[in-house]
Amino acid sequence: MTVTEAAKSISGAIVAGAGEGASNEVRGGYASDLLSDVMANSGEGDLWITMQRHINIVAVAELKGLAGIVLVNGRKPEEDTAAKAEEKRIPIICTGLPAFEAAGILYGIGIRGRRPA
Amino acid sequence: MFMVDTHTHTCLSPCADLDMHPAGLIAASVGAGLDAVAVCDHNSAENTVAAQRAGRAAGIAVIPGMEITSEEEVHILALLPDAETALALQSRVYRSLPGRNVEKVFGMQVVANEHAEVLGFDDHLLAGATTMTLDGVVAAIHKFDGLAVAAHVDRERFGIIGQLGMIPAGLPLDALEISSRTALPGARAAFAPKEEYPILCGSDAHEVKDVGRAATFMLLENPTLAEMRQAFNSRAGRAILGGGRPMEDLALHILDIAQNSVEAGATSIEIDLAEDQAADRLEIEVRDNGPGMTPEMLARATDPFFTTRTTRSVGLGLALLAQAARAAEGKMEIDSGRGKGTRVKAVFRYSHLDRAPVGDIETTLLVILAGHPELEIRFHHAVGDRDFKLNMRGFDPTVPKGLAALRQSIRQGEAALARSAAENQA
Repeated sequence: MTVTEAAKSISGAIVAGAGEGASNEVRGGYASDLLSDVMANSGEGDLWITMQRHINIVAVAELKGLAGIVLVNGRKPEEDTAAKAEEKRIPIICTGLPAFEAAGILYGIGIRGRRPA
Repeated sequence: MFMVDTHTHTCLSPCADLDMHPAGLIAASVGAGLDAVAVCDHNSAENTVAAQRAGRAAGIAVIPGMEITSEEEVHILALLPDAETALALQSRVYRSLPGRNVEKVFGMQVVANEHAEVLGFDDHLLAGATTMTLDGVVAAIHKFDGLAVAAHVDRERFGIIGQLGMIPAGLPLDALEISSRTALPGARAAFAPKEEYPILCGSDAHEVKDVGRAATFMLLENPTLAEMRQAFNSRAGRAILGGGRPMEDLALHILDIAQNSVEAGATSIEIDLAEDQAADRLEIEVRDNGPGMTPEMLARATDPFFTTRTTRSVGLGLALLAQAARAAEGKMEIDSGRGKGTRVKAVFRYSHLDRAPVGDIETTLLVILAGHPELEIRFHHAVGDRDFKLNMRGFDPTVPKGLAALRQSIRQGEAALARSAAENQA
C-alpha cells in the first residue's frame, strides 16, 4: 500500500513532501506522541500517527526511514516542519480524524503494527 | 560562591504540597543551605512576590521564574530578572493557556502571602499545556529578558529529549537542567558532550523535603539574573562551576569537609578518594593543617545541630557523612587536636546498595579552588591501581581562561581515570 492510498482511507491530504514520498510503500504502522519512544520502537516503512507537529518529527521520520507521518485531529504542521518535510521528502498527511479512528481505519485496510517479541 | 536551586515549586502548582507555601519553601531553602532559589511554578508566577518577601526576611535570594509547558508538552524554565517581568510574562502565558483547573483532579492552586495565609485560588489550568510552540516559548522568555532552560532533560515525560527525541537544532536555549536522578559526569557526556550548553542541577521540588536535593554552584558577585546570565556565558569571571545532590553525592560531602577546614583557618588540604572494588571498599580521607578541634568540639562534631560556621554550609556536615557511611556498612572517624590539624576519614562498603554515589569531582575541586584562591590543595583519586592527582596552589578564578583550563585538566584527568579503570577491569 502506498502513502497516497493510506491517506485516502482516512480522508487525509498530503500537505508536505507529496512528490516522490507519496508513492512510499507503507509496511507497518506506529502511533505515539513521545518522539523518543518513536525513535526507539518504530520500524522502517512505518506510517506514524501523531499529534506532534514540531520540526523534529521530520528528523525522527528520516532517521527511522518511516514511510510518512499522519497528523491527526486536524492539526497542521508548523511552517518550518512543512519546509523540512519537503526538503527531506517525508510525506505529511493531515486528517481531521482523531488518532484512535485513524489507527483503526488503517488497521482495517491491512496495515499492522509490530508486535513485541 | 552561590549554591542555587534553579527549580522549585510552591503550593500554586497543583501537584505541589500545601506546605510549600512561599514561607515554607524559603524555610526549606535555608535549611538546605541554599544561597538562592528560583521559584518556577507551572505556567504561573502568582506567588513570586510573596516568595521574594519571605526570602528577603530570611536573607536568601529569590529568582522569579516559571515552568512553561509548550504545546509539544516540553517544560521550559524561565528565569526572570524581577517579579514585575515575571507577572508580565505570566499574562502572555495566560493568554495561551486554555481550560480551567479541576481541583479534585489536579489539585489546589493556592495563592498565598509570605505569612502562609491563603489569599485565593488560581483557576487557570496550570497543569495543562499552553498553545505556544517550543520556539514561541523560548522567544517569549527572551523577549522578557529571561533565561530559557530546558527542564529535567533526563526525564522522558515533559523533558525536551523525551518529548522531541533530541534537542532541536538551532533552538536558542541558555542552559539544560538535570534532575536529582542523574549525576553530572554522565549528563555532560549524554546531553552536552561539546559543552554546547551549561548544565544546571535543579530539584524540581514539589515537597519541602526535596528542596535543595539538587543544586548548582555558581561563581557570581551577587545572586541576580544579570550575574547568572554572565555565568551561563562564562563571562567577566562568572561561571557555572558545577552541581549535584548536596545531601547524597560523596563529592559534595568532601566539598563540605574542605569548606569546614577553610572556615576553621586551614591553608592546606589533602583529599584522598580511593575506590577499591577488589576489596569492596570506598574510602574518603580529608586532612588539613587547621587549628584542630578541642575534645568538646570533637564530641559535638557529629551532632547535626552543631556548627562553628557563620556562613551557610553545603549539605549537613559531618553528621550526615557519618550516617551515609553507616548506611553502607562503613564508619567515619575524626582525628583532631588543638595544633595538629584535623583528619576526617569515612569508609564505605563499595558494593552496598545504600552506598551514596561519588558524584562530580570536577564540581568539588572547582568550588574549593575558585572560592579560596590562596589555598593549597593536594587531591588524589584512586580507582583500583589507577589514579588521578591534582596539586594546586594560588589559583585565581578571575584570570581569563584560567578556570576553563583548570576545568579541562580535571575533566580529562577524571575521564582518563574512569576509562583506564574500566579497561583494567575488562
